[in-house]
Amino acid sequence: MNGFNAFASLFYRQVKRWASSRSRLISTIIQPLLWLVFLGLGFGGVFNPENINTSALGINATVMPVPVNVTGIVSRYFNMVFGGIDYVTFMVSGMVAMTAFMGSFIAGISVIWDKQFGFLKETLVAPAPRSVVIAGRIFGDAFVNTLQSAIIITLALLFTNNIRITGIPISLLYVFIMAVGFTGLGTAISLKFSSMEGFQMIVNIITMPLMFMSGVFYPVKSMPTWMQYVAMFNPLTYAVHASRYWLTGADVGFDYMNPLVDIVVLSIISVVLLVVAMRMFERATIED
Amino acid sequence: MQDIVIVENLVKRFRDVIAVNNISFKIEKGEIFALLGPNGAGKTTTIHIISTILRPTSGRVLVAGHDVLREPGEVRKKIGIVFQEPSLDNQLTAYDNMYIHGRLYGLGGEELREKIMRLLEFVNLEEYAWKKVVYFSGGMKRRLEIARSLLHEPEILILDEPTIGLDPQSRAKIWDYIRELRKLHNMTILLTTHYMDEAEELAHRVAIMDHGKIIALDTPDGLKNMLGKDVVYLNVNGGRDFCSAISFVKECRKLGENRYELLVDNASKLIPEIIATASSMGLEITEVSYKRPSLNEVFLHLTGRELRDSLEASAPMAFRGRRWR
Repeated sequence: MNGFNAFASLFYRQVKRWASSRSRLISTIIQPLLWLVFLGLGFGGVFNPENINTSALGINATVMPVPVNVTGIVSRYFNMVFGGIDYVTFMVSGMVAMTAFMGSFIAGISVIWDKQFGFLKETLVAPAPRSVVIAGRIFGDAFVNTLQSAIIITLALLFTNNIRITGIPISLLYVFIMAVGFTGLGTAISLKFSSMEGFQMIVNIITMPLMFMSGVFYPVKSMPTWMQYVAMFNPLTYAVHASRYWLTGADVGFDYMNPLVDIVVLSIISVVLLVVAMRMFERATIED
Repeated sequence: MQDIVIVENLVKRFRDVIAVNNISFKIEKGEIFALLGPNGAGKTTTIHIISTILRPTSGRVLVAGHDVLREPGEVRKKIGIVFQEPSLDNQLTAYDNMYIHGRLYGLGGEELREKIMRLLEFVNLEEYAWKKVVYFSGGMKRRLEIARSLLHEPEILILDEPTIGLDPQSRAKIWDYIRELRKLHNMTILLTTHYMDEAEELAHRVAIMDHGKIIALDTPDGLKNMLGKDVVYLNVNGGRDFCSAISFVKECRKLGENRYELLVDNASKLIPEIIATASSMGLEITEVSYKRPSLNEVFLHLTGRELRDSLEASAPMAFRGRRWR
């Protein structure tokens, strides 16, 4: 019972803190929204077969030996690449996982923040098991990040009509499982840092490549081979694949991927990262 | 009397700095015990070890019968601590800070709610319960932290420099709370301070720390009695040893270049005699002062330094790990 109380305490704290910080709420939504508007709508036009101006390409159907439906061919190509959905929908559905992914590392920053403002000490002298305390914190942040993803889905409905409303809860489940893992990772890293700058540097080094090698912006299969290998070991790839699958029905990923593989991979990784964070927090003293 | 804290041969080394150098003391149940000393003396390190957030290099520390290394969880249940730097969540309200602490210590429900309001009332913060802590003054934050540390009814309250950086009014208030807690609840209180008056005012017993060692431990009166009734300070020009000439004082010590400390029973009567002796020896006295000994004079007597002076001295601070600054 005491364990549950400690878990609830930190869970409550992380959620309450998020809810009372309007700037954090806004910034976490603004960033994906910018990606969505400028990349999504921008490339959306490029990848739209209807925008193909055949005469400008020098194709004149009347002089071709056989009548060619250029728009049709290109359209089929895009369907193959993006799994049968338009680019905006493609990106939005992956962005849902990406938002939680980025947010997870930002949650790590709050550990450093707490170090500097002393709140971490308050949790270190508490009699509750440290592993439970940190788990409460990680699940609280993972919940917050999932909530942010939910907000992104809601906003996405403004840009696309191809989101399956019924797929939202199950895709958020995948996002939550992933968020637990990455929040654990962010927390574990930040326990070893005493400055924001150092942490931010590491986070940028990790997050940017992982973000681009996850299939959020382009399908993993059109990547160069070496990138594909990285993508296979990138947990975000599985979350992106799954959320896209449940939200749009598009199955864009490596051939071996399916929702079951996704959830197994994400669960294993999250459990491992969670345990690492717990172990590290158990050994934490104020010397770190 | 029962000893609630037992510290035996405690040593704490940070890489090449020895912060605490083989100290031992016991704190009885229901007493106010002060660790007095300049910054860097090892007070905070000692407190951090007692509260289980630092591991001792060697030695044994028991709190309410539990070893800090073997049963840190039990120890944490018995102590309430207010750190030197605030450990509140600024972005949350006073109530939420209390609530989170309560849940963290296994409390909940209506009982917790009542306790929070009662304690906020105790530290006169009830009307600020729903305000964010970021808008609080230093004194209010300290009071809130004291209230929070009492929420789980600890057996011993640990206060690290409870009034540092506070204005006189806030200080007086904190002193009142400390006295009240001890009077009403027979609470054991361990505090560190570098203010002599604070130790003198509040503590039943004072351990004076310097350079990681306890150099004296007694009641404030006991410590002052070391010096007798009065202390005379002299600045004397001329190289000869003045002490050997004045055998009529209880004790004479050279503090610095030309500065002497004389322990006497009645300074006002003896000072003319001292001056007469000096001039008969051809020595010039450039400055005379005398004091009823306070803990400051005790510290000066023991270390040859003023407690005030040593605040600025570059004593080795307990430093943090240098990873990724």
